Formats: sequence, C-alpha cells, structure tokens
Amino acid sequence: MSRVPTAALSKYLLQGQVSRQGCLRLTRSPQISARALALRPAIVSHCRSLHTQTTETPLSTSSSAAAAPSHVPLRKQLKDEAKKAKAAGKKKKKNASNQVVPGWELTVGIEIHAQLNTAKKLFSEATTSFNDESNSHVAYFDLATPGSQPHFQKETLVPALRAALALNCDIQPVSRFDRKHYFHWDQPSGYQITQYYEPFAREGRIVLQPRDGIAAEDGDGLAVRIQQVQMEQDTAKTTAQPGDTHWIDFNRTGAPLIEIITRPDIHHPATAAALVRKVQILLNAVDACVSGMEAGGLRADVNVSVRRTDDPNAPLGTRTEIKNLSSFKAVEDAIIAERDRQIAVLEAGGVVEGETRGWSIGSTETRRLRGKEGEVDYRYMPDPDVLPVFIGDDLVTHLRESMGQLPDAEVDELTDVFGLTAKDALSLVALDGGARVEYFWRVVESLQSKLGSIISENPACFQLAANWILHELGRLTSNPHDESAQDLGFTADGECQRVPVDSLADIIVFLYQNKITAKVAKELLWVVYRGNVPEQYPTVADAIETENMWFHELSDQEYAELADQAVEGQEDIVNQFVDYKQYPQGKLMFLVGRMMRLGSEERIDPKNAEGVMRRLLEDKYVPALGRAED
Amino acid sequence: MSTHVRHLRSKIPSGVLPSLRLRRTPPLRLASSASLPTKTNAFIAGVDEAHPPSSPPTNGARFRLAVKDNIAAQGLPTTCASRILTGHEVPFTATIVTQIEQRLGAELWGKTNMDEFGMGTHSTNTPYGQVSNQLEGRSAGGSSGGSAVAVGMGHATVALGTDTGGSIRMPAAYTNTVGFKPSYGMLSRWGVVPYANSLDTVGLIAKEVAPIQEIIYAVCMEHDPKDPTSLPATVRERCVSERQYYPSSRGTPPPDFPSQGLRGLTFGLPIEYNIEELSPRIKEGWMQVADKIMEQGGRVVPVSLPSTKSALSAYYVIAPAEAASNLSKYDGIRYGKRASPASSPGDNSDALNGILYAKTRGEGFGPEVKRRILLGSYTLSSEAVDNYFKQAQRVRRLVRRDFDRVFRLPNPLLENEHGDDGNKEQQFDLSDMDESVTLESKLGPTQIDFLLCPTAPTTPPKLSDIAKQTPFDSYMNDVFTVPASLAGLPAISIPMALPKSEEDPVDFGGVQLIGQFWDDARLLAVTGHIRSGQQ
Repeated sequence: MSRVPTAALSKYLLQGQVSRQGCLRLTRSPQISARALALRPAIVSHCRSLHTQTTETPLSTSSSAAAAPSHVPLRKQLKDEAKKAKAAGKKKKKNASNQVVPGWELTVGIEIHAQLNTAKKLFSEATTSFNDESNSHVAYFDLATPGSQPHFQKETLVPALRAALALNCDIQPVSRFDRKHYFHWDQPSGYQITQYYEPFAREGRIVLQPRDGIAAEDGDGLAVRIQQVQMEQDTAKTTAQPGDTHWIDFNRTGAPLIEIITRPDIHHPATAAALVRKVQILLNAVDACVSGMEAGGLRADVNVSVRRTDDPNAPLGTRTEIKNLSSFKAVEDAIIAERDRQIAVLEAGGVVEGETRGWSIGSTETRRLRGKEGEVDYRYMPDPDVLPVFIGDDLVTHLRESMGQLPDAEVDELTDVFGLTAKDALSLVALDGGARVEYFWRVVESLQSKLGSIISENPACFQLAANWILHELGRLTSNPHDESAQDLGFTADGECQRVPVDSLADIIVFLYQNKITAKVAKELLWVVYRGNVPEQYPTVADAIETENMWFHELSDQEYAELADQAVEGQEDIVNQFVDYKQYPQGKLMFLVGRMMRLGSEERIDPKNAEGVMRRLLEDKYVPALGRAED
Repeated sequence: MSTHVRHLRSKIPSGVLPSLRLRRTPPLRLASSASLPTKTNAFIAGVDEAHPPSSPPTNGARFRLAVKDNIAAQGLPTTCASRILTGHEVPFTATIVTQIEQRLGAELWGKTNMDEFGMGTHSTNTPYGQVSNQLEGRSAGGSSGGSAVAVGMGHATVALGTDTGGSIRMPAAYTNTVGFKPSYGMLSRWGVVPYANSLDTVGLIAKEVAPIQEIIYAVCMEHDPKDPTSLPATVRERCVSERQYYPSSRGTPPPDFPSQGLRGLTFGLPIEYNIEELSPRIKEGWMQVADKIMEQGGRVVPVSLPSTKSALSAYYVIAPAEAASNLSKYDGIRYGKRASPASSPGDNSDALNGILYAKTRGEGFGPEVKRRILLGSYTLSSEAVDNYFKQAQRVRRLVRRDFDRVFRLPNPLLENEHGDDGNKEQQFDLSDMDESVTLESKLGPTQIDFLLCPTAPTTPPKLSDIAKQTPFDSYMNDVFTVPASLAGLPAISIPMALPKSEEDPVDFGGVQLIGQFWDDARLLAVTGHIRSGQQ
C-alpha cells in the first residue's frame, strides 16, 4: 500500500480535511473498471480511507466512482463527493448510532504505550533523541554487548511517577523489572525489560466527561479504572529500504516507555478514543511524555470482545487484540470494525478466536495477524541484573505537590474565567501537545503587564487573546499549498517561534484599545508570521508607525458628515425605516457599507459607523422624510 | 559510553585466531604423575607458544594472570569458547582485570579455554579442543578448566575464572590447585559475559591460597558502579564490621593467623553430602582432613542441610533459564559470527525456514548450550514456569535458609531485609533434621564457622570415559558445589591427599570449605592455615 504523506494524513485525521491533490493522485484513472479495482485491493482500501465517513457502503462508493460516466468532469465529481462526504460526516457525528449495536454489548480494554520525556535511556546513560544521526546515541548495553550490564537511570522515574499520579494510581513502594523474550531485529538482547510481575503503579482511574468526547450513551461521564502502569524499554527503529534491506537505528533502543493498562470498563468506541485522547492530554500536561499520538509518541493496543445483552450474568466474550493503533480515529474505527466482525461471526453461529489483529488507517476491517497457536510465549523472567526499585513516600509527595494544574481544572478555568466554550477550551489544552495553552498563559501574562491590570477588569481582552490563539493562529498555517510553513514552532515552555508571545500581545492590546482595526490586526499577524517583525520593523508598534496603520478614527462630527453623504439619494432605503415589522438590519448594513466606501476605510470602525448610522436614521433622516412629506 | 554501532565489530580478522590456538606447553615436573600431556588446549588466545613463560614477568609485573575467555580484556578476543563469538573482541576491559593489573601489577597471560559459555563440568564443550588435565587424558574440570590447567602447568601464577555452580572449584579439585569463589557481589561482573547472572561469580585459581588472599584483600572493598549487583560501599562497610581478617585499611597486609591455630573454630560435616555416588577414596580423604583439623584444635561436628537434596535440581532449572535468556542476544547481527548464506547449496539467505537467526544460532552454539537453552526456554514457558522456575526459586530460598541456620555468624543481607536479627529466628524443625545430628542445647544443634565437604564426588575422570557419559552424569558432578552458588556464599577448594589405590593412580582430590556470606577473609585465612599444615 502506498504511503500517504504525514501532513495530509494528520490534516485528514485531525481536521477532517481531504487533500484534493491526494484524491487526484489516487484516482488517476477514472475509467478504471470495477474488476481492475477488485484486483487491486490496496487501491480500493486507499480510496476508502478518504471516504470512511460516507453513509454508503465503502464498496459501492468505490465502484460508483469507478463506474462513473466519463462525461462528468473529474473535478466536479470529486467536489461533489467531497461535499457529500463532508455532509455525511457531519450528520454522522450527531447521530451516534454506530456506537451501539442493539442486542449486543461491547467491552474494550486499552493498553497505551507512551514515550517518557527523559534525558537518558532507561538502563543506560545514552541520550534519548528524536532526529539525530542514526546510531549516534548507543551505549554498550543498548546493543546487548556481551559483558555489559544495565544501569537503571533513576531520573526516568520522575516523568513516570508524574504520569501515574495524573492517572490517580497507587505508587508501589517496591517494583521490579522482568524480561519479556521474543526475537526481532529491533530488540538486540532478545528480550525487552518491562514490569510484568510487579509494576510501579496500580489501581488508577480516569474520569471522562461529556466534553472529552465520550459516546452519548455514556451520559454524564464514567470512570475508567487503570489496572497498572509499568515502565519498559523501547525498541530500535527500522527503516525499510528498497529490496529486502532494513536499516536499524538503535538510538531509540532502550528509551523509556510507560505502558498504561486499563480494565475492560469501556463499552463504546467513541469513549475508547476519548480515553486515549485524555491520557495524551494528561501526560502532556504533567510533562511526562515527549510527543503525542500524531508524532508517534503514543501507541495503543485495544482488546475487544462482545456478548449478547440478554443475559447479564454471561461472562465476557472471547477477546481479540488489535495492535499498534496510532491515532484516536484509528482507535474508534478499529473497535467499530472489530465489534461488527465479531458480531457477524457470532450471528453466523461461529466462534470468535482469541487472536491478534491489525488495523491500517482508513480500512474498514481488522486483519488477522496471528492466532493463538502463533502467539509468542514471552517466557517472563525477573531480570537478575536489575535491582528492585524502591520509591519513597517523600518523592511521591513532592511530585504530587509540584505537579501543577491538571487539564480538567485548566479547562474549567478557561471556560469560567476566560469565557471560552468547553470545545474551544479543550482544543486549546490539547493542541501542540500542550504547548499551545502554555503559550496562551504566557500571552495572558504579557497582556497583564502591558495593560497593567488584572483579568477581571478587562475580560474581553483576554477572551480576544484566546480566540486569536485558537483561530487566527490556525489560519496562518491552514494554506494547504504551503507545506513548508505548516509549523508554528511552539516550544514546550510556551513560546512560539513564528509568532512570539510579545508580538501577539502587542497586536491584541492595540486591537483591544481600538488603536488599530481588526483588519490591520490580522495583517500585522501575517507581518509577524513572515518574520518582518523584527527583521524589517523592530516591534509591532514600529510596523504600525512606519506603515501608517494606526487607527485615527473619524470624529463624531466626521462620522455624521459621512452618514449624511451616505444617505444622499437613498430615500427609498431610508423610507423602509419608517414603519417596519422587523428592523431592516440588512438595509442598515447597506448604508454602513456606503459609509465605508465613501469615507476612508482605514479610519472607520464598522461598529461605530453602524451606531452612528442607526442613531442618525432615528433622530434625523427618518424624521426628515416626514418633514419632506409634510 | 555512547559509541557508534559499526565501531563495535571486531577488527581482528577471523583467520588470525586459529594460529593462536594451538600451543605446546613446556613439560613440567609433577609429583603426582609420570605422564605429561603434550597438548592441554588450556589457552585460546594471547599466548605465543614459541615463548613459554620461562622468564619472570616483564614490565615490572609481579605475576602472570591468565583470564578465562568469558572475561573481557581489550586487545584479546572474548569468545566464551563459542563459535558464535568467533573472533569477537569486547570493546572494553572487565573491571576485575583492570583492578588486578593496576592494583597488583599483573601481566596478562592469555585467554583460557573453557566449556562454551561456562556450560559444562569437564571443559570438553569447546570448539578449541577439549582441555586436558596435566594428568594426561584426565578431565581438567569445568567450566574454568583452561584457567586451572594454566595454573597447574605453571603458565600463570593466578588465573581468573567464573563460578556459576562450581566452575572454579571443580577444576581446582581436578588439577590439584586452589580455587576460590568469593561471596556474590564482591567482585565486579562488568565485562564478564553472563551465563546465569544471579549465580555467576568471578573467582580465582592459584597453586596456593596466598596470591588469592592478596588479590581479595586488595579489591574486596571496591564497589563497581558499572555492575548493578556489585555490593554498594556502605553495605561492604557494614558487612566487614561484623567480620574478621579484613585489612583495616587498603594496603595493610593480611593479619597473621593466630598462634592458637584452629582452636575455637567449629567445622560442620554436612551429613546429606555423604551420597551414594561419593567415591570411597574421596570420602576417606575428606575424613582425614577432618581429623587433621581436630588435631590442630578445631572442632568438627555433623550438621544437616536438608534442602541439599533439591539444590542440584533447582540449579539446573535456574541456571538454564537465565542462560536461555542471556543467550538470546547472540544472533550474529551486531557482533560475532553470522551463518554464511552460502553454507548450503541453493540457499542465499542466512535464515532457516524463513526464520532469521535460526541458522546462525544453529551453527554457532554447541550441543550442550543448545540443550540448556531448550531446557531454560521450557522451564520459563507459561505452562511450566510455575512448576519449575518458581519452585526452583523457592528451593533456592530454602537452601540459603539451611546455611543461615547452621552458621554461627548471621547473614548480613538477611538482617537487612527483615530489620531484625534474622539468624536468631532460623530454628530447625526437628522433623527436617537427620537423627545423626546432635543437639547442642535445647535451642538446636551446634552452630558452625565453616562447612567442610568434598568438592567433587570422584577423582578427575578419564576424558575417554566422559565421552561415553550422558549429560545427566556430568550434571551429577556439581552436587557439592551448587548449594554455595545458590546461596551466594564464599567457597574454596583446596587439594587433599587420597589413600593409595591400585585402580586409580590419582592421589589427590579437592576438599571444599564454605563460609557465611562475606566471611571471605576469614575463610581464606583459615584455609591458608589448613593448607600450610598439609605441607
């Protein structure tokens, strides 16, 4: 199966956007026959990936596309399909029918693997890294060099403990490491060191609320229990090369991971995705995790089983495990597909086999990877070279106290104090792995010092900031043709390389104080984004000054004169304000538009112009009409 | 620490090795034997056969040190006598080698032959040719057979070995030398290729106790941060504070043995060691040593170690399990020898039946190693782990408890674990105890300072007889050495004289003394005294 560029994929997954270019490439031969498609399942499934949200069955989608009459222009056809898909997608979100199959209960447990944010590997002093030169951070032990031994890096406990605390777990005073054996080239020692018998954290819980995106069937929310959290080693990274060649990068070997194992408390696919999303947000919030799911820092395995609802005492059905899901959408889609497959098997009188299955992004079916007979016996054994880990209460207490605000509290603050909608607040917290909200707080800080006041005195200013950080900043990078400029460059400490905190705060203060217009403010944002501040102009104020963009608003007198000009010869329009059932707002805006055209636009605040016009209509022009008629 | 992968491959072309392999050892006069071997295969690498050690060590070194081939010494290959590591050089030097070179001034004198990865009792499981005892045609013991013969033949003053279940003591007993296994955690294992980590102990072989004693005194307080199982400095301090005969500070000479001799010391004869397989001559020699000790003022009492019967079985579950795990890393990819694709016609892959590594591991490991990997993989498998691996761990605890009960000194590690004097709690259940053990008081039988028992049940067998043995027969040889390994206790084997025999010309055996944890210094001092009394 050909690869979809990551940028396109993430746009599809995160924003529901389908790249038109991508579509064109994939359906290059519109006349391709249904038979030919059937022979090329990879392409079929790829087409499907772009249309999974249509209500039509995927097969008919692709065959209808294939059999489309040749006289329909391709561009139009694609547009229509995209429209249809979009409409269907929206509809689907509202009706949650895919969350439940009548007569059946779904049960899901999840295992989440996350890369810990640490400087060193779990058992060696080699540095953890992301895109450094291959095989440049490798200690003897990472390569399983004979005679080398593991050196537990106790600092790795800090993010692991933070994660476990954020997940409300009981930290175990004593934990141990075990070897899990299997042969693979990405595993130099032939075993992974993990915590099987005695993990460092147990019995946690995550509370999910409706705003977390759970299924409507879960009502006001639910608590998902966490069985355990364990530390373990990551494997090497394999890069496939042409032919049978694989390149192995041992930089990642031995990097610390945590595995979070939930109890089978989830019964709806959307809730499973919400759980994974929430775990990611929590891990980012406590700085436990290097990167989110979209960057490959988080992977999930789901265990899925179904049983009939008629007997509440029936045991859970046989479960299957779907491995290596790397997006929230994949979690939800794979669970739906696997649930439906299991139900179909059972309804046909068959038996669900306990097996391991796989899922590719965009497909509609899980695929069998290996059955029970192919299961690897991991032959767990306590690692005799790794000492038990003793975690003191003092450390746990310190970390608990220094953990700071968790996302739920932060979302509450954003909605209560800054007037954000729950959806906006959640996006703000989730974006850029938590860096976006950090940026927000720094902008808030900067605004406070610039305004010399506290939030409660100028709530509108801070709301403005929140909106800009969420929406206006997003526009900067939403141009799909400009792939090079897709990254705003947020740093973990809340700075943004492309739009520095201070510049944004300047723009917002000027806008809030009405010293510039909204239009100018938006232009200034581009000026900052393109680097013209500070390259060309030292500060935002200098840019405004140099380019003469300050908002010198018309005086009341000038506004009145402009209004007079605008109504000249428009008696028919003014007439409609004499006696109306509903205030003719549209006509008012027409007159305001005339004001904007006649006057110098950069000196007019549309809101103020509207007020002036409204007042003058009432006080002056309408009465004047009456007098003229008299 | 960080290093680039490709730098780790050995720079020694594999063709160089065979030339280092064969060496003719100079004929040495041995009191006990008339026939001398022409070729012992004691060394694998590093020794120039044209220059036997006739002159004193060079560069001001005080003695020559031979190093077992599973201990890394930079500049020489470290192959563990396995084909899978042919030509492999570990890119660093083991801590213990550095310590001995630096603290005591030793000249490194070659890598010694051994049973592949330490798995064997006779040093016959090796691709470099089976090691022969100085008594030609006899087993040199294993797995540190090469080290023992290197000392026995006079090539090296001291040899480093490893002891997992008797691999130093057994060869010492077979070659008429002294072999010492220290307490687990005393000598660093960094640079020692593991066979079974929880049992592997670096130890020393010499002709007398003194050089071993000197090395132990020099390094016994040194914690190695590179070895996670090396006892931390604070724990060493605590252990030493409860022990005698340790040097008060580094560099002080070993304290002299008191003039009163063995008076005040109690030696225990474990009655469970009087097994059917014990050769009558070994038993006779053992009793003669006991008599000698009593002559010198020591007290000798029978003691019971009831878990001994299960110790051997537990060992052959735990050691192969850890071995199977440790040996999973050998796949020929990053180091060592990878099976060549051309080794079978029409096959251009190094995989077997589509399984990567299978051919490399099939060709690289010898039969005994494969046997133990299979054994260990089975005992760790989900269906067997409860009945084998976990049971064996329980037996291991019982073995340690047995020792803690009979020794007068408490086990310092046990105290630490329970926060009280664990030893006082260790009371025998009368039903556990053999009736021949007499009670000292109403609290139980006499507590002892050292255990005294044979090292091996027989004299060194003929290599021709070993070839006919089943693997199980050779496992039996470890029956006296395995318990101390399971408990991590210091143990030493010294030569003992045997009564003359018409059938067997071998007139020596090995007798073993076992001490409580970290009682190494006193064990060496007492053994040195007994040894001097023998001559």
